[in-house]
Amino acid sequence: MKQLIRLELRKIFSKRLTQLDLAMVLLLSAFLAFSTYQNKYASDGAGNEGTGRTAVEIDKAVAARYSGILTDEKVQQMISEIVPKSGENGLNAIYIYRNTIQSAVSARFSDIYGNWNGLRVSDVFGNETIKIGYVDGWLSTSQNLVKILTIFSFFIIMMIAPVFCGEYSGVDNIILSTRYGRTKCAMAKVIAGVLAALITSIVVLAVNLLMAFAFYGSEGLDCSILFAQLTYIEGSIPFNITCGTLLAYQAILAVTGALGVTGITLIFSAACKNQMIAFVVSAAVYGLPLFFPAAETSALFRLAVLLPAYHAQFVSLMSVGQMSGIFLYAVWAVPAALTFIVAGSIFSRKVFAKHQVS
Amino acid sequence: MELSAVDLTKRYGSKTAVNRLNATLTNGVYGLLGANGAGKTTFMRLLCTVQRPTSGKIVLDGKSIWKLGERYRDVLGYLPQHFGYYPDFTALDFLLYVAALKGLDNRKAKKVSSELLEEVGLSGESRCKIKTFSGGMKQRLGIAQAMLNDPYILILDEPTAGLDPKERVRFRNLISAFSKDRIVILSTHIVSDIEFIAERIMMMKAGEIIHFGRPHEITSRISGCVWECSVPTSRAEQYTVSLNISNLRNEENGRTVLRVIADQPPVAGAVKVQPNLEDLFLYYFKEEEQ
Repeated sequence: MKQLIRLELRKIFSKRLTQLDLAMVLLLSAFLAFSTYQNKYASDGAGNEGTGRTAVEIDKAVAARYSGILTDEKVQQMISEIVPKSGENGLNAIYIYRNTIQSAVSARFSDIYGNWNGLRVSDVFGNETIKIGYVDGWLSTSQNLVKILTIFSFFIIMMIAPVFCGEYSGVDNIILSTRYGRTKCAMAKVIAGVLAALITSIVVLAVNLLMAFAFYGSEGLDCSILFAQLTYIEGSIPFNITCGTLLAYQAILAVTGALGVTGITLIFSAACKNQMIAFVVSAAVYGLPLFFPAAETSALFRLAVLLPAYHAQFVSLMSVGQMSGIFLYAVWAVPAALTFIVAGSIFSRKVFAKHQVS
Repeated sequence: MELSAVDLTKRYGSKTAVNRLNATLTNGVYGLLGANGAGKTTFMRLLCTVQRPTSGKIVLDGKSIWKLGERYRDVLGYLPQHFGYYPDFTALDFLLYVAALKGLDNRKAKKVSSELLEEVGLSGESRCKIKTFSGGMKQRLGIAQAMLNDPYILILDEPTAGLDPKERVRFRNLISAFSKDRIVILSTHIVSDIEFIAERIMMMKAGEIIHFGRPHEITSRISGCVWECSVPTSRAEQYTVSLNISNLRNEENGRTVLRVIADQPPVAGAVKVQPNLEDLFLYYFKEEEQ
C-alpha cells in the first residue's frame, strides 16, 4: 500500500500542469507579499514619512510608544499626539491615514474633527483587555492569504481532478484487471490526493508566513486584532483574539478548506469521464456557495460557512457567534472537512470499483 | 485450471457485441481471430473483468470470476489493445506501479521488472520517460506489465501491433516459452503470428465463436476452396475485382500467380492448394473487410 501511495503521489506531482500551477501560486504569494510590503505608507506626524521598509519602521516605532494594554489614558495620549485634525485638509478625521495606530484610534475614539468622541475603552471593548501594538504586518499577511488560498483552492481542484478520471483514458484497462485495481488502488488514490492537498497547503502556508516573518518580524503576534486599523475586515471579527491566534485559525482553515475541496473534487473525479468536466464541475460546486445570499443571522448561514469555500474566506466563518467554551465556531470546520473527505473517499472508491472501461 | 464462458452476452444498447458465447479453455495458447467489430476485444474485456457481461457468466474451475474477485485477478495478466500510460513515468516506474497493483512486494517487483524489461528489450531504456518511447516500445512495455505477476491466464489483445518483424519474433518466442501449463489468449490481425504460436484457434463473427479448434482442423473446413492459378499480368487487376484473392505474386514471364478463395475453380487450369489461416480468415471475413 505504501508503494502504491508513493507512486500515486509521484503521478500527481510529476504532472507538468501541477508543477506549473504550484509555482504560479508561490510566485503570486511572493508578488503579493512584496508588493504589499513595498506599498506600505506611514508618517509619524513629526516630519518622518516613507514607504516600504521605512513605513514599516515608522509604524513599529509609533506602535512601540503606545504598546501594551489599551487604557483611557493611552487613548487620550494618542488623540492629542498623533490623531490629525480635519481642519488640516478638510476631511473626516476618521478617514485620514497617517499610520496604523493613528488609524485605529481615530476610527474608534475620535469624531470627524479629530477630537475625542467621548467613548471610553470600556464603551468600545467592554470588559475585554486589549493589547495593542504593531499588527499591520500580520494582518496584511492574513488579508493576502485569503486571496492566495482562494486561488490555491482552484489549484487543488486542478491537481486532484485527474486522480480518477485521468485513468479513464486507457490505463483503467490495466488497473482494473489487476488484483488490487478495484480495491486498494482507489484507496491509495484517495490517500495520495489528501496527502498532496496537505503537503501543498503546508508549503503555501509556510512560504507565506516565512515571507511575512522576514518582512515584519514577530511583532504584533500577541496583540489583539480588535485594535486594527479601519481597512482590515479582520478587525470586524467580534472576538478578542491575538494576531497569532487569528493566523493559527486561518492556517487550520486553510488545511480544512484544502481537505474539503479535495473531498468534493474526488467525487467528481470518479464520476466524470473527462478531466476538464471534473475540474469545471468541482470548481462550480466549490465556488457557487459564495454567491448565494444568506443573512448572517440565519441558521442556513451557520451551515453555509462550513463549506470549503468559506474556509479560505475565513472572516465570515470566524465571525459566527461563539460556541460555549474556549473555541470559536470555526472549529466546526474540522469535522466539516472530514465529512467531505469521508464522503469523497466512499463515493469515489465505490464508483471506481464499479467502473467499466468503455 | 479451466476457464469457461457460459452463454456469455454483452450488449451496448441495441448492439450485441458478444452473443451467447460458450467456450471452455484449458492450458494452451489460443488465437482469437475475427474481423473488426467481431467482438474479440469485448470478449477479452469480459474475461479480464474490466467489463461486466449483460448476461451469462465466466467461471474459473466452476467459480464465477466476479465472485473470485482479487483471487481471479491475481492469476490474470492483460495487455489491452489500447492502453494509456503516464507520460512522466519511466518504464521502471510504470512496471513498479503495476506490480504494486498486482500485490508484488517491493523487492520482488524490482527484480521481476528488471528481468521483464530485459526480456522485452527495454533494459537500456528503463529510466527513460514513457513519453519518449516509440509505439513499439510502449507495446513491449505493455507486454511486460501483463507478465509481471507470472499470470496463469494471460490475455493479449493485438500484442504485435506496432512491433517490427524482429520484435515480433522475440514476442513469439517469449510467449511460446511462457505458455507452458498456462492459458494464453491472444488476438491479432497478423494471422501469421497466430499460425506460429497458437495451438487452438477461436474464430469470432458477430459476437459468436464460429470455429474453435486446432489450426489444421479448422482450415480443413475450407479444404477444396483455395486455388492457385496463373494469369497474364495484364489481366490480374481485373481478377482482383471479381475474385476473392488472398495472394498475388508476379512472375518474370509476364504472368501472375493468384491465390484465390472460391467454392468453384475460378479459371480454367486452377489447382487446389492446402488452405492456411489467412485463407480461412478471408473466406469468412472478405465481405466484412470490404
